[in-house]
Amino acid sequence: MLFGKNVKLFDGGFGTELERLGLGGIPEDLNITHADEIRAIHLSYASADFITTNTFGLNRIKYRGKYGIDKLANAAIENARVTGAAVFFDVGPTGMMLAPTGTLSFDEAYEAYAEIAKTTRGKVDGYIAETFSDIYELKACVLALKENSDAPVFATMTFGADARTLTGSTPEIAAAVLEGLGTDALGVNCSLGPKELLPIVERLLASTSLPVIVQPNRGIPVLENGRSHYTLSADEFALYAEKFADMGAEIIGGCCGTTPEFIDRIAFLKKRAVPKREVEKKTVVTSCTKAVTIDGVKICGERLNPTGKPKLKQALKDGDYDYLADEAIAQAEAGADILDLNVGVPGIDETRAMLDCVEKVQEYVELPIQIDSSNPAAIERAARYYNGIPLINSVNGDDAVLEAVLPTVKKYGAVVLGLCMDSRGVPKTAEERFAIAEKIVRRAEEFGIPRYKVMIDTLVLTASAEQSLVKETVRALEKVKALGVKTALGVSNVSFGLPARGLLNKTFLAMALERGLDMPILNPLDGEMTGVVKAFGVLSGADKSSEEFIKLYRDYSPATQVRTARTLETEKTATSLYECIIKGLKTKARELCEYELLSRPPMEIVDGVLLPALDEVGRLYEAGRLFLPQLVSAAEAAKESFSAVSEKLPKGGSGKGKVVLATVKGDVHDIGKNIVKVVLESYGYDTVDLGKDTPPEKVVEAAKRHRPVAVGLSALMTTTVKGMEETIRALKETDCLCPVFVGGAVLNKETAKAIGADYYTKDALEFVKVLEKAKRK
Amino acid sequence: MCSANSSVLKNRIYVYLGYYADRRRDISDELIDDVLGEVEKLSRFVYRYEYFDSPPDFLSKEPYTSYFRDSRGVIVSATTLGLDIDRRIKLLSKTDPARSVVFDACASAYLEERADRFEVSIPYPLAPRFCPGYGGSDVSDIRHIFDILKPEKFGMTLGENFYMIPSKSMAGVLAVGGTAKRQCGNCALKSDCRYLKEGEKCFSEKT
Repeated sequence: MLFGKNVKLFDGGFGTELERLGLGGIPEDLNITHADEIRAIHLSYASADFITTNTFGLNRIKYRGKYGIDKLANAAIENARVTGAAVFFDVGPTGMMLAPTGTLSFDEAYEAYAEIAKTTRGKVDGYIAETFSDIYELKACVLALKENSDAPVFATMTFGADARTLTGSTPEIAAAVLEGLGTDALGVNCSLGPKELLPIVERLLASTSLPVIVQPNRGIPVLENGRSHYTLSADEFALYAEKFADMGAEIIGGCCGTTPEFIDRIAFLKKRAVPKREVEKKTVVTSCTKAVTIDGVKICGERLNPTGKPKLKQALKDGDYDYLADEAIAQAEAGADILDLNVGVPGIDETRAMLDCVEKVQEYVELPIQIDSSNPAAIERAARYYNGIPLINSVNGDDAVLEAVLPTVKKYGAVVLGLCMDSRGVPKTAEERFAIAEKIVRRAEEFGIPRYKVMIDTLVLTASAEQSLVKETVRALEKVKALGVKTALGVSNVSFGLPARGLLNKTFLAMALERGLDMPILNPLDGEMTGVVKAFGVLSGADKSSEEFIKLYRDYSPATQVRTARTLETEKTATSLYECIIKGLKTKARELCEYELLSRPPMEIVDGVLLPALDEVGRLYEAGRLFLPQLVSAAEAAKESFSAVSEKLPKGGSGKGKVVLATVKGDVHDIGKNIVKVVLESYGYDTVDLGKDTPPEKVVEAAKRHRPVAVGLSALMTTTVKGMEETIRALKETDCLCPVFVGGAVLNKETAKAIGADYYTKDALEFVKVLEKAKRK
Repeated sequence: MCSANSSVLKNRIYVYLGYYADRRRDISDELIDDVLGEVEKLSRFVYRYEYFDSPPDFLSKEPYTSYFRDSRGVIVSATTLGLDIDRRIKLLSKTDPARSVVFDACASAYLEERADRFEVSIPYPLAPRFCPGYGGSDVSDIRHIFDILKPEKFGMTLGENFYMIPSKSMAGVLAVGGTAKRQCGNCALKSDCRYLKEGEKCFSEKT
């Protein structure tokens, strides 16, 4: 039995013991080359209840030795088995960052860990995934182990002194995600000593009712003559270990610097009963860096939903996910706590689009996401690849829907939103809606989903068509609170078809908040709606001393307040559109352009002002009188102006064409590419930005789909020029007739020619110049 | 306001932004200060190193042997500002591209300045940092530094083409004692170097 009433012990440091014995090289290889010594180390941890195999770096991505994974894994298990204790297979990180920050895909990480699980299935008593600093990589690991073996899975993360992991996850996020994924125990190891881990352990214990594991380093190393020495004694270590046990940690061990002496010294804890813990269960959704607890009103931004939004609909059809990212950023900056994401547009692959959009939004915004779809397959895929704990919108009272979606909710530890309707439609009365809510909660519990992971939407109908039912919605809201669940409503539905929608929406929102609404789904860019939420905070007492309200509204005036960030625009003046572009005054450029458009044809402004201004910017830049930041500012100002002009142009816009841009496979540097994008757009080109680490086939697909006037490839490293060459070759093998431009610090004309590119350009301005010339040929 | 040495930092920042030699500078110091303040706030600076009496095996080749020629020891080091910096650059590239350019330059300069400051606290006389990729050395040698220091435990990872994430990271070696100096040497950018054309160097105090 893994867990009992008393504290259990893991073993201690392995690297320290290898160093003591003078054993270098790849540690995992020692399982074969020095099996006796490895067994001796395992045996020296006689006080431990769990022995970890010497396999920390054993996965196909990290391991660079000469033995097969299978052979080493089996040797390691065999070595650990000599102790007679429970053997836990040690699983460490790949050492690479997962996309989109890095280039390793979730699936590649998953497959590496699945290989471990399949190789060791049935041969170990459990797995310990440890020293992970990326919750996303750990998610891939836990899923792989859980889906490919039956043994228990423990998972521990490593935190910095600021109680965050490398990728910014807090103990609360780690606990929520790992508990949601069904790990059997979770905790913290490495990086810090026991004293520094105390506050982190406290936070973990408050966030999960699962057994908590603590494996500290032997203190913070002290540097003496350039060498690290741990100075914490076994007695001091034991004092802290006892504290952890008193706090409620169930499994204690040691990491770097600890030795068998340290584990022997804490063996007395095995007689210590684990104190009972009461953990308050909360409704929490997370991204990788932000946890949002639904305690008090939280705003869910509704703008990432194509219904009634033709631009968003078109962006989804075009695969222009940058547009979605912009909308997501705007909502986050306006104060949304969670973002609803719906990509249901006829004619597109919703599952693929949902995956791409989740990734894109999570790349830029740290808010948790509400995955909004009626497609169970899209929901499942999105929840699987989501980084954190999502909110899934939705299920309803229909048995088929519950059966289809609740397993996904359970598997990925999501929070689920239940709609008070079923196949018969939306019930008229609050009582009937309550009955459906009860059913949803009960069915969720049957699937092992506790009610604190269920939210209920009592559904808003339009006052214009169903006036008498508006009050049933708020009555139902009050009733379902008795179920102990949190509530949500799509508030703005109430006013559809009536004038003065804003007035109705605000009033309804206030009514609903008073009756127990926890999560209004609304447009956070509507300051009046978010104002109602903030005012409610004051009037309900939630905003203690009205602190937040005063901070936000101290200088309130009815006019729109625009916060001026300190930018290159500050304190500059200009009297003409031409000047605004030269000086990079984006906001004023747009205003002046719109003014000009009242009396002048669009193309006259383009040919007479915008292009000459950009030409002058280019001249000044080449003369060394303008520099990169000003170039970018000027390009932004021109781009804003072009955007104003294109709204007046007939469909087809300025017709300059599209340019596909990408940083090639294996390279993640994209600032140069981003500058090229801004400058191209300032000249009226549309861009398709494929991002970084772009495989050749993705560039080819984009070229086929968008028929660009050019493809631009960027690489900053000598090691990725080869990737550029492969991409160019792949393009030339298709019927892509457009020229291929290359750029990047390590390139020049000769290299560009050698790898098959049509043009090398040293900067963004030269790109545009050469492109314009090439188009004229 | 950033607490780092502003004049040293700003010289580096202007260099990274292309304001070489004594060209007119239109960016206000105020903007740089503002951005540097943001960089400092978001940074999670970590520096790890290990000392060796003699160079590890991977350094037994040129150009390292010339660099370590008369040194009496070797420091292998890795340092980073952390991932929040990358996230900010990413967000700014959408919301304020001009600021993202300045931010990127500030973060690069800030990392170097913090590393320089930390290295002053190392109790050895040190030559300037030498990072794999400099002066004709093989960038893949970063792998060996990662094998020694295991910086993934404190937040640095290595991509398949030897780029580091977070992007504002450095991994290198420092000679202890000896006469190694910074020089143009076999720098890959020497042939197109704007500084050399102006009779300057990118690492001179004047720039």
